[in-house]
Amino acid sequence: TLCFQAFLQMCNLPIQVICRANAEYMSPSGKLPFIHVGNQVVSELGPIVQFVKAKGHSLSDGLDEVQKAEMKAYMELVNNMLLTAELYLQWCDDVTVEEITHPRYGSPYPWPLNRILSYQKQWEVRRKMKAIGWAGKTLEQVLEDVDQCCHALSQRLGTQPYFFNKQPTELDALVFGHLFTILTTQLITDELSEKVKNYSNLTAFCRRIEQQYFEGPDKDGATAAARSAKRPLLR
Amino acid sequence: MAAAMELSCWGGDWGLPSLHPESLTVMAYAKFSGAPLTVNTINNSWRAPKGDIPVLVSEDIVISQPAKILNFLRKQKYNADYELSAKQGADTLAYIALLEEKLLPALLHTFWIEAENYCSVTKPWFASRIAFPLSLYLPGKMSREALNRILLTKGGPPLYSLTEVEAQIYRDAKECLNLLSKRLGTSQFFFGDTPTTLDAFVFGFLAPIYKVCFPRVQLQEHLKQLPNLCRFCDDILTCYFRLTVSGHSPTGQDTADANLQKLTQLVNKESNLIEKMDDNLRKSPQHPPRKLTTLKLAAGGEESSPLSRLSP
Repeated sequence: TLCFQAFLQMCNLPIQVICRANAEYMSPSGKLPFIHVGNQVVSELGPIVQFVKAKGHSLSDGLDEVQKAEMKAYMELVNNMLLTAELYLQWCDDVTVEEITHPRYGSPYPWPLNRILSYQKQWEVRRKMKAIGWAGKTLEQVLEDVDQCCHALSQRLGTQPYFFNKQPTELDALVFGHLFTILTTQLITDELSEKVKNYSNLTAFCRRIEQQYFEGPDKDGATAAARSAKRPLLR
Repeated sequence: MAAAMELSCWGGDWGLPSLHPESLTVMAYAKFSGAPLTVNTINNSWRAPKGDIPVLVSEDIVISQPAKILNFLRKQKYNADYELSAKQGADTLAYIALLEEKLLPALLHTFWIEAENYCSVTKPWFASRIAFPLSLYLPGKMSREALNRILLTKGGPPLYSLTEVEAQIYRDAKECLNLLSKRLGTSQFFFGDTPTTLDAFVFGFLAPIYKVCFPRVQLQEHLKQLPNLCRFCDDILTCYFRLTVSGHSPTGQDTADANLQKLTQLVNKESNLIEKMDDNLRKSPQHPPRKLTTLKLAAGGEESSPLSRLSP
């Protein structure tokens, strides 16, 4: 969710964050999050970016063709590695599943619905992992992949403020969303966030974006809503 | 030197050393880095392929996925990425992720799911290389795995039917090809003049699309409109995979042929540059609009201006 908020903040568009238990069903594609503008509802990062672009705001106009290709490639890397690793950790690592994911996912529903729904989701995620070949990976291998991905991102970022130097782009929003979530979510072990913390320029990057776009007198409403929304979800 | 390394993979046809993208990637990387691999193509014997192909066997170590095989080769000091900067290494990872997310589903679809392609080309080809009775079962299993993978990764809502999923993955694949073409530009390989891991992966994915003759070829037609990618595949095939009858390239002719290759590449590069310059010239406005009004006054002006516009 955070990458969308970051993206919209970067475009200077005001937003309001609302939590709903049936959010997955309200979304047109079944995926969270989605935005509700006037009488239009748009979900998922790709269509939201297009929608915002059509309204006249775009972050990647200043890039040439080769840079746009690079940006898309890096976004796929983040989706491929970080997102899959997060899913793996949430749903395929037995300890985490028992202690954190099951209670959290099933919390809005009464028993036995909460157990059934979370088992169903777990089964779906495991099928997907098997299809892409991640089912055979151990936790160490997944952490190593995350490390490799962070290493690549860190190399690409270097000492610049944003990935494409002066202006933030969709890639910055996406990376911020994932890294911030990893750094602030409390899990059984801290290994995942330790991996990210190894790269000081990535943590500095997150801090910088947080300060620039999520703190400040007139933005308190959004961040307070974001923070309080995150708390019950992230315990 | 390391112990002898053997690679088992699917064989080739239509001018390719292998039809299978992952096998092709490993073979290309081995050629680029100079690793001495003995390649065993799977043929109609009872040593049935178990598990994932390609498989590298070195002494007692068995490694199966392309990424792991490449890591192993690098540890054995066969490193094609030696001269890359850290940032280029990062770019390599990113582009490989792009290939797997955007191009691989469409590739799998063209080979294994598109009914005409599967029944007339893929299934008979693979079945002829697997021993009976496994040949009745294995191609079907590979096809089901491909379908499963596509549906699970790409088939969520709002795409509810297979045709919608198909349309989406082909759109993604065409966009990916365009992005690769833009990134390659006019250079010979993705990072300068020497081929690297990224070149191996791109070659492994593109060459089957480019060369295999299928009845339904929308991806191939799109690829053929991107001449720099076609040239890229052809170059690698002619430079690194020149197979003679015995399957090994003759050492005697190597230097002369290498010079010929370099000459051909230079000529190709020059002609690409000339074409590009031509395009630029053609696109730039020959006659700015404000001059048209003055031309109309002169009687002969109107005839001369269309003539000069037609000249190359």
